Amino acid sequence: MNATELRGIIWLHMLRLWRYKWSFLNLVISEAMWMFIFILGVLLFVPSEYMAVACKGAFWIIVSWLIISQVSMTMGGWMQFFISLGMVEEHILRGISPFKVIMGRVVPGLSVTAGTMLFMAFILNTTFKTDVTSMGNPALICLGLVFLMIQALSYGLILSAISVKTGIPHSMLEFTSFLIVGLLLIPIENFQFPLNLILLAIPYVAPVNLVKDGAFGTSILVVESVVLSLVISGIFIYLAIKFMRSAEKLIKTEGVKAIGLM
Amino acid sequence: MSFKTLVKASFAQTIYFLKNVKAMLITFLLWPYLMLGLILGAGLMFGSTASFKQNIGLNVDPIVFFIASSVVALISISLMWGVAGSVLELRWIGALPYVILAPHRFSITLVVSYIPNYLLIASLQILEFAPLIILIEGLEIGLLKIAILFLALIVGMLPLMGFAALFASFLISIKEESNILAWLNPIILLFSGAFYPAYLLPRWAQFISWLLPSTYTIELARLSALIGAPKLSTITFMIGVLLGMALVYNSIASALMGAGERKALREGIIE
Repeated sequence: MNATELRGIIWLHMLRLWRYKWSFLNLVISEAMWMFIFILGVLLFVPSEYMAVACKGAFWIIVSWLIISQVSMTMGGWMQFFISLGMVEEHILRGISPFKVIMGRVVPGLSVTAGTMLFMAFILNTTFKTDVTSMGNPALICLGLVFLMIQALSYGLILSAISVKTGIPHSMLEFTSFLIVGLLLIPIENFQFPLNLILLAIPYVAPVNLVKDGAFGTSILVVESVVLSLVISGIFIYLAIKFMRSAEKLIKTEGVKAIGLM
Repeated sequence: MSFKTLVKASFAQTIYFLKNVKAMLITFLLWPYLMLGLILGAGLMFGSTASFKQNIGLNVDPIVFFIASSVVALISISLMWGVAGSVLELRWIGALPYVILAPHRFSITLVVSYIPNYLLIASLQILEFAPLIILIEGLEIGLLKIAILFLALIVGMLPLMGFAALFASFLISIKEESNILAWLNPIILLFSGAFYPAYLLPRWAQFISWLLPSTYTIELARLSALIGAPKLSTITFMIGVLLGMALVYNSIASALMGAGERKALREGIIE
């Protein structure tokens, strides 16, 4: 991707973000409030003396989940819209891969994540008089979040490549989202070898373990989590490239399943 | 076109929609269990049922508590945005001008046509939780609690219809193409005490919760979570409050919806 293409793609998504600013704000507030309601329900089970620890744990799990769901959903769920606008053909004719444009969806995805995260932290800190953003090891948190973004970005690209060939029911994505929250809640430290490593080998689990370690300043399976995050991220990137190439080939030979605007 | 035809058509639409869109039916059936499982799972991972009872201040069963919460929360949201959101949907598909020019008032069409959908969804959700409630409470008490849940959803529907029509009247008069009021969903549920009882909220928040019909629907439904049989006087009181709110909200909605419709027709912003 050359600099002009990159500038054009980022400009497009920034412009759309500004055009739909009310939708963006709506999304940030509603995401944060849904999460807050969920956390309130969960915190009803927590003894008052552990409230601060539970709040912090829940906050970082939700931040991780937000990155996964926002980055992957904003890309995966956009391909059908992009096809129905007739933009896939337009971009291919101008020598730009539609997947590069889809990748730019990371701009609104991360903007919503950042906005929601800050709003969530504000609500939790003021409600429970705590500091959920305090970090034991910021570098470890950043590393975990970067791995999460890579895996989520690749997953989003795989989804958008699949949606070129066939429709993905939205409900399936919602189930996956629920499944991911369940995965993120797994307390790795409670499992013995080799079960803990098997669990870490599930996508997203190792980076989230790094985030949890970074938040609480612990060092539970740090090396294993870094190695497995690297391996799984590599596999995800490889699969995303394979799926994208295959989808592009299909579009060029058979066209897209939609009526374009050309 | 009589109301009977409208209700019949809406009922058929809901049945065929669920029959033909299998993925939607599966989601619809699994969603409440997923929500319940996630809250209970995460709650028990971070704490215990003993702490739950202590924090709530009542002798309640957490499973039935969250069943009641999940069912009412999902149904209330479904009603509010099923009615209000249909304004946007009709606008997207270009059918809004036809519906607004139909013989019945637009607001009446929106509300009446959603009743069969609501009743069907409410019945299905209670039925899917019925085995679990009976398993926890036993047959006799279980059936009583299922009846309370159903009663809460039926009586709770009346003020919520007016509440939903208020949102619809606002959405019809703005030019946005997406539901920019979606953020109100969780806020309404929060103040209604959906997953966190309203009486535990700060004083200012409790004042807002008293004004929301969903608060009383949730409280009525949650009586089913109390260990043993709930008092008849409390149930009657809640029903009285909900009926009073139904009168107030439906009167306000009727006046405002008329104004919203006239504005839309005058200014031509209905498509």
